[in-house]
Amino acid sequence: MTSKRFWDWFIFPGGVWIALLFAVPLFLVLALSFGHVDDFGRGVYGFSLDNYKDVFDATYVPVLLRSVGYALATVILCLLIGYPVAYFIARYGGRYRYALLAALVIPFFVNYLVRTYAWVALLADQGLVNNLLVDWGLAESPIQMINTPYAVIGGLVYGYIIFMILPLYGSIERMDPSVIEAGKDLYGSPFQTFLHVTLPATQAGILAGCVLVFLPAVGDFVSAQLLGGPDTYMVGNLIQDQFFAASNWPFGSALTVVMMLFLAVWMVFYLRRASKGEAEVL
Amino acid sequence: MSETDLSRRQLFVAGAGLVAAAYGLAGCTVERPLDRSAAGNLVEPKIDGDLLIFNWAQYMDPQIKKSFAEKYGVEVKEVNFDNLEAMVTKLRAGGSYDLIFPSTEYVLRLRNEQLIRPFDRSKLKNADSLTPFYDSPWYDPNSEFSVPYAYYTTGIAWNTNEVKEMTESWNDMSNPEALGRIFMLDDFQEGIGQANLLNGFYLNTEKSDQLEVSKQTLLDQKEGLRGFSTNSVQNLVSGAAALTQAWNGDVVNARNQVDDPSIFKYETCKEGVPVGSDLMCIPVTSQSPGTAMLFMDWVLRPDNAYRNVMWNGYPMPVAGGREAFAELVKDDPSIDVDLSQLADSAMEFRLDSPEARQEWTRIWTEVKA
Repeated sequence: MTSKRFWDWFIFPGGVWIALLFAVPLFLVLALSFGHVDDFGRGVYGFSLDNYKDVFDATYVPVLLRSVGYALATVILCLLIGYPVAYFIARYGGRYRYALLAALVIPFFVNYLVRTYAWVALLADQGLVNNLLVDWGLAESPIQMINTPYAVIGGLVYGYIIFMILPLYGSIERMDPSVIEAGKDLYGSPFQTFLHVTLPATQAGILAGCVLVFLPAVGDFVSAQLLGGPDTYMVGNLIQDQFFAASNWPFGSALTVVMMLFLAVWMVFYLRRASKGEAEVL
Repeated sequence: MSETDLSRRQLFVAGAGLVAAAYGLAGCTVERPLDRSAAGNLVEPKIDGDLLIFNWAQYMDPQIKKSFAEKYGVEVKEVNFDNLEAMVTKLRAGGSYDLIFPSTEYVLRLRNEQLIRPFDRSKLKNADSLTPFYDSPWYDPNSEFSVPYAYYTTGIAWNTNEVKEMTESWNDMSNPEALGRIFMLDDFQEGIGQANLLNGFYLNTEKSDQLEVSKQTLLDQKEGLRGFSTNSVQNLVSGAAALTQAWNGDVVNARNQVDDPSIFKYETCKEGVPVGSDLMCIPVTSQSPGTAMLFMDWVLRPDNAYRNVMWNGYPMPVAGGREAFAELVKDDPSIDVDLSQLADSAMEFRLDSPEARQEWTRIWTEVKA
């Protein structure tokens, strides 16, 4: 009993940290979302629902849908690319396993904004990729790659794929390889074995990866801003514009709150599934 | 229910606590009150400490700071902001900077909010040669709070290899030769402003019916766009843009980055030429306002202005700065837009109320959504 009390105290440093630097600012965002803008363009706290009425204005619906659509496409692509990578490293990486993982993680030490700019340079009309295509005769003239929805989704996939690979790696690595052998012993083809044995056994990692990619991808604004075209405006861009161009912090806060609630639904769904399946959570 | 779960009663109490806290905040602004006692006092130009400049990145030749530091024996440091809203937020929070570089609209806001200090412009030796356009500006009628640093006109830049026919009109924003390769500035005032001018409206119109017409113009123009972007230099140089709405200083910088600068040309439009200015102001929180005033004068000195324009490619409306810009663009004088030449067609962006600002940003969002 005494020792349990002693250990309980350890929650304090982290708890105070979370309270001051996370809960309080979050509360201020929530409070400001009911506020309005004064004549100087400053946000003033208040008790009005006007901002929330505006959030559900028909204008913003396509922006929200587009953001969710891009994020879903990102999740699917990350899963299709990430699963074989994680599978290979976990099962056949051998002694290079950690070196391979490090090679995947190291690029993510570089700031996301800088990495996205690199894609602009690579994919530009006069960029490296287009120059090679034209030089090798694969294209007659430069292909427009940036300023398209594909480029935005590509940027998101590149930006967040590590959040898919790491949990997948974790669950594939922890999977008992003998279950695959058992599947084959039961005359399962490689594909059937994968579908009925490997996939269910690594379900927790898939779920974790999908949620971890989806959440930041919905709210992203960098990819659309740097790689996007005239029709790639995302909710992250909308929120950023409220703070920095429109000087309308209260409306920006309301958008943020609504988006957080929307994402929280997914988070709760994930946590429930994860705890139900008594599987490992990253 | 396990004992770690929140009971309904606990949730209710927590919710009531949050509402009570929100009630305590109601009516407060985001920032705490600031000591504005210096707001009424005239600044005198004299050395009263080291200098901390708060500016856009890459907007001033470092040599100017260095020579000032050497001449007066003070330290000159610079920190940067990447948008004006963030700059103002830091000022409101009590950030102690000595010299800031707001736009015209922000000068008015900062003045109304008593965040900047007045000074006697006649005590700046080098202010005499400032373009008369700035003698009694709308945002600072007696020129007590600001002096201009640099200005820019908004027009259209194009790549002469791809576009041959231009008409000196905002109609060129949907030039058929450039469809799909056109960029519009990602700035709600520049975007809506050019549509207003094209429709013959006042640049800053707040009339809803006119704004609706301009919104339709923008939606039509959007069909031919490749994107909304303020990165005109990169868009021109990388070949993404055949034509782009652009600030004249960016055209200079794009021309500097290619072998043959004559491929990029620039026009101002007959329906009206938006003019933007960045100004120098002294915040009330400044620790060394006197040094800041001496530094303003230093920046406006003809040789420094000349050097600075050569360095950043943006015109300064002062002796030395004008000559430098004319020299930079001597093979394409259309880029060199002198404010006195513009006479009536020069216009500045101003939205006088938060409501107007919200109306404009709503329309801009509807266009971009």
